[in-house]
Amino acid sequence: MAAMKKKYSFLTGIVIGSFLFYMLLPIVATYVFSIATRWDRTILPEGLTLEWYKVAFADDWFFIVFKNSLVLSISTVLVSVIIIVPTAYWVHLRNPKARPLFDLISIIPFAIPGVVLALGLIRLYAHPPLMIGRTPAMLVAAYVIFTMPFMYRPVINSLEAVNIRVLTEAAQSLGSSWLRTITQVILPNILPGMLNGGLLVFAIIFGEFTIATFLVGARFKTFPMQLVYFTRRDGRIASAYTVISFTIAWVSSLIILWVVTWGAKRTSMRNTQHTKGLFAGDVVEQK
Amino acid sequence: MSRLKTLAMNWIPLLPFLILCLAIMILPLFFMLRGSFTGSNGEFTLEHYAKMRAPIYAVSFKNSILLSGLTAILGVILGTVIGYFIFQLISKRSKELMTALCDVTSNFSGAPLAFAFIIVLGSNGVLTLALQKYLSWEIYPTFSIYSFWGLVLAYTYFQLPLMVLLIIPAIAGLKREWREAAYGMGANSHQYWRYVGIPVLTPAILSGLLLLFANSFGAFATAYTLTEFRYPLVTLQLGFLLTGEVFRDPGAGDAMGILTLIMMGISILFYQLAARRGRKWQQ
Repeated sequence: MAAMKKKYSFLTGIVIGSFLFYMLLPIVATYVFSIATRWDRTILPEGLTLEWYKVAFADDWFFIVFKNSLVLSISTVLVSVIIIVPTAYWVHLRNPKARPLFDLISIIPFAIPGVVLALGLIRLYAHPPLMIGRTPAMLVAAYVIFTMPFMYRPVINSLEAVNIRVLTEAAQSLGSSWLRTITQVILPNILPGMLNGGLLVFAIIFGEFTIATFLVGARFKTFPMQLVYFTRRDGRIASAYTVISFTIAWVSSLIILWVVTWGAKRTSMRNTQHTKGLFAGDVVEQK
Repeated sequence: MSRLKTLAMNWIPLLPFLILCLAIMILPLFFMLRGSFTGSNGEFTLEHYAKMRAPIYAVSFKNSILLSGLTAILGVILGTVIGYFIFQLISKRSKELMTALCDVTSNFSGAPLAFAFIIVLGSNGVLTLALQKYLSWEIYPTFSIYSFWGLVLAYTYFQLPLMVLLIIPAIAGLKREWREAAYGMGANSHQYWRYVGIPVLTPAILSGLLLLFANSFGAFATAYTLTEFRYPLVTLQLGFLLTGEVFRDPGAGDAMGILTLIMMGISILFYQLAARRGRKWQQ
């Protein structure tokens, strides 16, 4: 038995170890490469330096592309929140008959590769008389659709988790106004879903390369475009850009994980409070 | 009249969303479909689809299907095994750490991931040099990160953690009582997996296969950063048609776009069906 257990943990070590090696090596190597003086002749870096970051930051383009990507991500999140969140709420609560249709629409973007979406938009909107196909505004509109599943799903999930219908009716029967119901009952309850979706959309758009390249290209250079440019010109600067991209991606992922756990805790706590409240009510009435 | 009013009330708040979907998704795809069947004089034609038999397009489709199929199969097999071992980990903390790692890395793709692989396995890459020095193993020119096998390695990087995340809930759905019941009735480990374990995991495995296939079939940035337009893949070929202000051969682009959408659409549709079936076991 003891021998078997030992063999089992040895196998586990091999499997998990190889997996970790494969998943972590590219990330760790990129972080080290970006602070190495030179690392293409020797096994270990020849020295450490922050030179490549200095060179990257000294270029005005760094701030332009960073700002452009930030503008695109934030605008996409805002438009998503304004259009998709009310739609999810309305479909879930007021027009449940439309729910299957909207659930279906919300998965279509999964089946449209970025390059195909760009192709369709350029073919339709980028020639006279309609010359709007190659503008940042069109890019944001494309992004809202492209990332729709990532906003719609979490919001629908949090609407389902808290039984928003009962809460809305309770608030209204207690004389709450519409505005108050929305700001004090509905919004706090779908906040975890909105935060989750918003962060996901932010991270996806900040790293999005394909649609931006084909739709706006050099007219509105983004961070990933500049990264790809440097991979062909100067690997050291490209590594600094890559580290910044990776950092934004994993920080967003960790915040999302944290928000999801926090949201789950909040709703499960609230659910237990509800059940408790219900039982207490029963007892009171029986008396 | 009041019924009409209710109908309007129900649908008007949904209009902004529907209009955006129409303008960005439905109309462009409709015109793409129409364009793929329209000749230069506006007549109906199948010539754009016939062009797809030309070597450059045929090879692109063949390569894309091979690359997506292979990385999907690799991702599903390795992901299921790794997911099983992660699930078996005793410490809850290491389990959580491993899923967090998968969650983070499944979002690493595109240009940064491709460049990370150049650093590791490029011709002067970290691992390339280490293998050369310690194992006297010259991986170049047999292997190249800019070739098919390089793409396989880079794509598997984002496929694998996605599969692990998909399979862990399914493995968690294998109830201990089922195993006990099977063994109690005299089944051996082989029979347990053959008649209980694998059938319960099948929907998750199938849905994983389809999702992973679609996931790599539509990928562009990773392959573009590694090979520019040199390696023929469907998405790269589409991108090549799109570069420059003047559209090269719009009809061929439309036909290739439609064929891509059909393949992706079928994968995603069956993925949804399989995933829905799989969720039954997970409750």
